[in-house]
Amino acid sequence: MNSLVRALTSSVGKKFVMGITGLLLCGFLVIHLAGNLLLYVGAEQYNHYAHSMHSQEWLVNIAEVGLLALFAAHLFLAIRLTTENRAARQQRYELKKSKKDDPTTDLHADSWMFISGAVVLAFLLVHLADFRFELRDLDDVAYKTTTASGEIIDKEPFDKAVALLKNPISRWVYLIGSVLLAFHLSHGFASAFQSLGMSHPKYNGLIRVAGIVFAFVVGIGFASFVVWAYYLE
Amino acid sequence: MSDVLNLTLKIWRQANSEDRGGFQTYQLSGISTHMSFLEMLDVLNEQLIANGEEPVHFDHDCREGICGTCSLMINGQAHGPDRETTTCQLHMRRFNDGDTIVIEPWRARAFPVIRDLVVDRSAFDRIVSAGGYVSVNTGNAPDANSLPVPQQDQEKAMDAAACIGCGACVAACKNASAMLFVSAKVSQFAVLPQGKPERDRRVLRMVAQMDEENFGSCTNTYECEAACPAAISVSNIARLNREYLRASLTSDA
Ligand code: FES
Repeated sequence: MNSLVRALTSSVGKKFVMGITGLLLCGFLVIHLAGNLLLYVGAEQYNHYAHSMHSQEWLVNIAEVGLLALFAAHLFLAIRLTTENRAARQQRYELKKSKKDDPTTDLHADSWMFISGAVVLAFLLVHLADFRFELRDLDDVAYKTTTASGEIIDKEPFDKAVALLKNPISRWVYLIGSVLLAFHLSHGFASAFQSLGMSHPKYNGLIRVAGIVFAFVVGIGFASFVVWAYYLE
Repeated sequence: MSDVLNLTLKIWRQANSEDRGGFQTYQLSGISTHMSFLEMLDVLNEQLIANGEEPVHFDHDCREGICGTCSLMINGQAHGPDRETTTCQLHMRRFNDGDTIVIEPWRARAFPVIRDLVVDRSAFDRIVSAGGYVSVNTGNAPDANSLPVPQQDQEKAMDAAACIGCGACVAACKNASAMLFVSAKVSQFAVLPQGKPERDRRVLRMVAQMDEENFGSCTNTYECEAACPAAISVSNIARLNREYLRASLTSDA
């Protein structure tokens, strides 16, 4: 037990947890994106998917607690590591230039992980307020609808999603959030493998490319729902 | 291209570790492009001494790229603009007439400035003392092939052993992380049979010491690899991570 605590609080251990929570969250992104793609298949299919998922209350609860733990660990370590890393320099250089000559690093996603992560967090909070907690002050528009008989009922998941995606605030938060998420992943995905000790000349190139492709797919995927809703009648 | 340079040098001067320090600007003329960077500083110091001023303190020893003593941040790059080159191997032909050259010490909390451009790198020594060795006396050279070592493993160990411990990795890293250094010192033994018996203890202790010295953590930016004069690969950092994980999960310690 002692050795486990020691390992997890060491610099290498913290990076390890950072990597593994990051990759598991990538797994969540895949599932979430796949589910959302049903929006394109049709209202009926999407509603069916949403209803059947939420009828498994147990599973949803477990998944939520798990995701919360992953996010909490990832976030806590991000703050810890960033503070420690800043402190380790102590005094900044008057002049600092890279010696790398790899053009793929031009955007320096690796230097912006904390900032891009923070923007993604803000996106996530708005998203949870929108969909999970239904906190946005949009009652009539997004969450409720009136039936022909004048009764006020919950909207179907598809209609709710479209209404929220059409909201001008959410639209921009989601769009910017998706782009920054892609930016975050463009470094994070491949970086996680290195932190977990997975590095091999045979696969390193593949992992790097896979990370970039993954970032694009996730970023474009999530951003596309906003664009789609915008043009939806 | 003329082979004489006139330069403006912006050099960090700091009287001692307590002093706040600051930049001083010097003009230097008639520097031959055939000089090494350190020879150029020698010329500056001779001038300063002749004028009754305090010479600029900087670390150097072998001046042939093998000892790892020289350590300068030149125009924002550890050991200057050339890849796989130490400051002492850098030549003035890499600069142009009229250039301004900014020279700073390595900056890291774990490497406090002693004076001017000289920093205290004893943190590295303490990390090595914590486990970067093989305890048993290996005696004379053994008979060939009495201890079989696959050629690839031997190559990996030799590549890691090329680390000269200059600290450029720490200097170049935005987090002042020492992981490239530590990973080289762990890897040079971890892949060889002679290093296997103490493998777990070594990595656990060295990482613990590294953390104690207040170096940052690796964010896989790989500036260290680009700045390393000995071309130590970041694949060693992945090995360090693996070794550490393995040791944490399976060792008795
Ligand atoms: S002085 Fe020895 S490596 Fe530069």
